[in-house]
Amino acid sequence: MTTPLLETHDLVKDYAIGGEIVHAVNNVSLSISRGEFVAIMGASGSGKSTFMNMIGCLDIPTSGTLLLDGIDTKSLDSDALAEIRNRKIGFVFQQFNLLARTSALDNVAVPLIYAGIGYAERRRRAQDKLEAMGLANRLQNTPAKLSGGQQQRVAIARALVTDPLMLLADEPTGALDTQTSLDIMGIFQKLNDDGITVVLVTHEPDIAEYAARRIVFRDGQVIEDAAVKSRRRASAT
Amino acid sequence: MKDLLASFAGWGVNVAIALTALRTNLMRSILTTLGVMIGVFSVILAVAVGNGAQVSVSQQIATLGSNMAIVVPQPDSGSGPPRSSDRGRLTERDGQAILREVSGVSAVAPQIRSSVQIVTPGRSATTQATGATPEYGIVSNITASEGRFLTQSDIGSAARVAVIGETVANKLFPDTSPVGETIRINRAPFTVIGLLESKGSNLGNDNDDQIVVPITTLRQRLLTTATQGPDDVTLIFVGFEDEDALLSGQKEIERLLRDRYRVAKGKINPFTVRTTTEIAETTGEVTQIFQAVLVAIASISLLVGGIGIMNIMLVSVTERTREIGLRMALGAKRSDIRNQFLVEAAVLCVIGGAIGLSLAILAASIFERIAEFPAPIGLDTAIMAVAFSAIIGLVFGGYPAIRASRLSPIEALRSE
Repeated sequence: MTTPLLETHDLVKDYAIGGEIVHAVNNVSLSISRGEFVAIMGASGSGKSTFMNMIGCLDIPTSGTLLLDGIDTKSLDSDALAEIRNRKIGFVFQQFNLLARTSALDNVAVPLIYAGIGYAERRRRAQDKLEAMGLANRLQNTPAKLSGGQQQRVAIARALVTDPLMLLADEPTGALDTQTSLDIMGIFQKLNDDGITVVLVTHEPDIAEYAARRIVFRDGQVIEDAAVKSRRRASAT
Repeated sequence: MKDLLASFAGWGVNVAIALTALRTNLMRSILTTLGVMIGVFSVILAVAVGNGAQVSVSQQIATLGSNMAIVVPQPDSGSGPPRSSDRGRLTERDGQAILREVSGVSAVAPQIRSSVQIVTPGRSATTQATGATPEYGIVSNITASEGRFLTQSDIGSAARVAVIGETVANKLFPDTSPVGETIRINRAPFTVIGLLESKGSNLGNDNDDQIVVPITTLRQRLLTTATQGPDDVTLIFVGFEDEDALLSGQKEIERLLRDRYRVAKGKINPFTVRTTTEIAETTGEVTQIFQAVLVAIASISLLVGGIGIMNIMLVSVTERTREIGLRMALGAKRSDIRNQFLVEAAVLCVIGGAIGLSLAILAASIFERIAEFPAPIGLDTAIMAVAFSAIIGLVFGGYPAIRASRLSPIEALRSE
């Protein structure tokens, strides 16, 4: 097998809160290969979000090593990290984080702006991804005119528009009802079947069951890392 | 090349983002722009008025005549007003001596000035009378547009004739030509022999509000205040052949007059010799200071406008912290975020600057028409306005933009 997509060695993130140092992530070593579907679980404050922020290059580790696609991120400056976020990672957030008063098409095209892609090409690619998400007739809708599920699909299209290696989804179903959550998980499973690596952060055990591998955090450390036994399938719409 | 195109496209995107953001808070954007608008408006108008003052002053200097020295019997008090107690003497014979002994002198025009009351049946006017000789016309470039100017025989016979300015003519003879009419100057009857060619007005000083009579006539008939001697004059205009002669002639006149009045060494001159060149320089300096003060005052409003921009940009950055975090997560570099907010500030400033410039052009043309005062706005001023607005945008938008770009992506994304 080739190098893992993601590798961490003794990854540590400390926060100083009220003069006391809190180890939000404490010596985590793990690796995620290409094509995996991983659910990161844990209670609030377990360190799962901090871990995800670090592997998403949004936050910088206090110590330890983080290799992303074979690149040691420690040596990278903020511009190089921005480029990694742009080219290799697609983010999906709980609150969708779409730009208000901006059409679905323009929202999806945003990452391409920072990739230096020209206007016509941006629109073409954004439209392709939105159509793949079943939103062909919603291109010009602003977020306010889209349902929660539709907004999250726009956000997924945006995450995919630069053809990243990995999707990082932070509680992507946290703001959605059960049926819509199921739809979204179906989309993730289908994308994963097509070869993209998906890393999902959730605190809901039944959502984690759609993943293939489950990593559980507690007090900044991994307490469980195993394949999901009875994996659920959701049919994508 | 491809990179360059991409970065150019990036700026276009930034303008689009900025316009969207500004439209979202339309009222706030308008109010912010208003500050820059008023600032640019007042700076441009101040420059225009200052330019106008300079144009006006140089026109005024031109009406004096060129290559001329003015001798007055007052000690040179520097920049302050002349002190009447130190008043010296100056006579027609001094004028003749200057013509005779100073090299390069083309003509000498001694004058007596006095305020007079003119009456015609049914009308009256108060104006300044200049008692002069035909040389006055030569030296200060004055001619009669109708009738004739003074001649030597008018002086010899102390003729009761007057050449009157247009303003005086309009007051006394609103409907008819004044030439040939009789007027009473300080009760004495005079015949109007000519109309002075109009020299217009500058800085509120009407050059046409005067009359010219023979110096002899004025001395004999019109002088109300007693002078020290029979041929005392108020001032002498000395015309020179060229500028070089003027420069050396100024010193020669001073030396000659010191001799004639036996001024002891070390004592200051009881007279002043000013050249038109000096007057032009001094008034030029004065109007430049005038302009600088105007522009400085106007710049304060521009500064306030700039602070308004900074204030709004800081609010905008704070409000959109989450958006900044999102954009960073999607791959925006620090420079992308910085440029986005710089462009937003620049768009505000350029719009404000453009409106301010347009209003200033409008105001200047209204001003020119109503106040009859030139306020030219040249291309250089327009370019300056645009540059000013851009600089304001960069300076006052710079700090908020840099602050936005320094945000940590995760902190920004977490903010509410």
